Amino acid sequence: MKKSEGFQNEKFTFPAVLIHLFLLLVALLFIIPLVLPFLFAFKTRLEFAYHPWALPEKINLDNFVWAWKSVKIGKALTNSLIVCFGTIALTVPFSAMAGYAFSKFRTKVTDYLFYLVMSGFFIPVQMVLIPLVRINTTLKLINTLPGLILPLAAFGIPFWTMIFRAFFNKIPDDFVEAAKIDGSGNWRTFTLIMLPLAQPVLVMSTLLTFFGAWSDFLLSFIFINDPNLFTVQLKVQSLMGTTGNNYFPQYAAALLISIAPTVILYMLFHKHIMKGAMLGGALKG
Amino acid sequence: MTYKPAVIFIEKHKKNAGDHVFRIMMILPALLMLAVFMFYPIFETFRLSLTNSSALGVSSYIGMKNYVYLLRNADFLAGLFHAFQWAFLKRRYPGPLAFFIAFACVTFKNPLVRWLRSVYYLGNVIPVAIVCMIALFILGPNSGALVTLANTLGWKWLAGIDFIGNARNAFPTLFAVATWAYIGFGIVYFMSCIDQIPAEIIEAAMIDGTNKWQLIFHVILPQAGYAIRIQALLAVVGSIRLFDLPWLITVGGPGNSTTTLGIELYKQGFINWQYGRGAAIGVIIFLLSLGFTVLQFSVKTEDD
Repeated sequence: MKKSEGFQNEKFTFPAVLIHLFLLLVALLFIIPLVLPFLFAFKTRLEFAYHPWALPEKINLDNFVWAWKSVKIGKALTNSLIVCFGTIALTVPFSAMAGYAFSKFRTKVTDYLFYLVMSGFFIPVQMVLIPLVRINTTLKLINTLPGLILPLAAFGIPFWTMIFRAFFNKIPDDFVEAAKIDGSGNWRTFTLIMLPLAQPVLVMSTLLTFFGAWSDFLLSFIFINDPNLFTVQLKVQSLMGTTGNNYFPQYAAALLISIAPTVILYMLFHKHIMKGAMLGGALKG
Repeated sequence: MTYKPAVIFIEKHKKNAGDHVFRIMMILPALLMLAVFMFYPIFETFRLSLTNSSALGVSSYIGMKNYVYLLRNADFLAGLFHAFQWAFLKRRYPGPLAFFIAFACVTFKNPLVRWLRSVYYLGNVIPVAIVCMIALFILGPNSGALVTLANTLGWKWLAGIDFIGNARNAFPTLFAVATWAYIGFGIVYFMSCIDQIPAEIIEAAMIDGTNKWQLIFHVILPQAGYAIRIQALLAVVGSIRLFDLPWLITVGGPGNSTTTLGIELYKQGFINWQYGRGAAIGVIIFLLSLGFTVLQFSVKTEDD
């Protein structure tokens, strides 16, 4: 495929147009599967049976009501939100605190401890699933939301501790010294000076932890068996597998409700979220 | 001013004591969480893999029998094969494709491309369960959207293809769905890699009169090499652990045509209630991930 001469210029040459078209095509491939539920969710089942691909005749909200009432997707939303906020409440503060200590209060021992924490990043969740279930059963946390939140948070800690540490490393040690001279205690220095400085990382960690916890399937699937406690993902999964395209409009409505929070958050914060994608590459060694 | 040694000593240790406590308190919560939910379970997994622990009755140590059993188990071997197959495919197709798209995006910096980038990444943001539901919905055998569309258009050949129920089609289909979902991450990642190449290097190459292909292969790829290798490694390691997508769409596929190590672990541990065997699979997953990581970083030159 031809490319334009020179790098990052030449707007309207033929190859440039060709490539843009190709990129647009790819984007369409992405959008179409996501738009289909919209086509279907607003129709009645009858309408769908006869004209699956036509635009809905009028905006029909019955399916959404069905999804809310019989599938109880509202409860699932609440459960997911609880899990997300619980996970954030544990992962972000603990990682920030540990990252700060690993950065500004280093000793030989803490350096080894940091490597230990870092090694946690490489541990596949599957590996520890079975013992985790037994731990939860022993602690009587099986089939409860906290039982899901704790492991989820634990698996986020290594990565974010690394990120926070890297961030605090960039802040000169003099800041801490200066604060001390001014009489600020360690904790106050942390909360009143360091955390505000770390705001970008705090935002990113909150966002990404939210997404991670919201999208989580494996851990939720293993730990939660009570349909009342299903998260959104589990609810979606329980709807699948029932064949019969008569139900597609309703499933589409449930799907749209499930997707809505993620997509809204994404539209608001997509710059931050994509920065998070690049964080993974910024970690060297 | 004169400093009495004693005063200095006390001052220094007062500060150190406070710092010491602070240091411990700051690290403790994170460490505790990890110790309970990560490090202890790791040891337990290793230990369990050597037992015949199951949901019923007493467990006793049986040495490597679990591993021997697994290596003779057709389902497990299928899962193992698929892990490698998936990893290989991932490096072959989505990798270069993502890079190509990323390069195209970086070449043309206009608002349209910036919007496109957000669209591509959207697939990564959508939870796996929902991606799978959409996939089932579109690709479902008799009543899926694709099939109904094909029938409407009269394309019998398309309507006849069973993407999910057919053992030969299931795996490529799954791979295509996964590519759809995750290529956005690769694109954004590669875009930032290419962006980070210092402009001087590119300008120097341009002045030296390289044409576009040489630019890519001799300048950009080497510069972004480290990042590319990281992405490749993530892809491979991800392939080893894969569970969500194959489970949600085909539940390990007709027979075992789409099973993965993750699925086998779940089957052994939570359906057959054979904790020992499940743990053994977990150990194997861990060792494979470790092996690939070591392998990736010990091979110096890699081209894509």
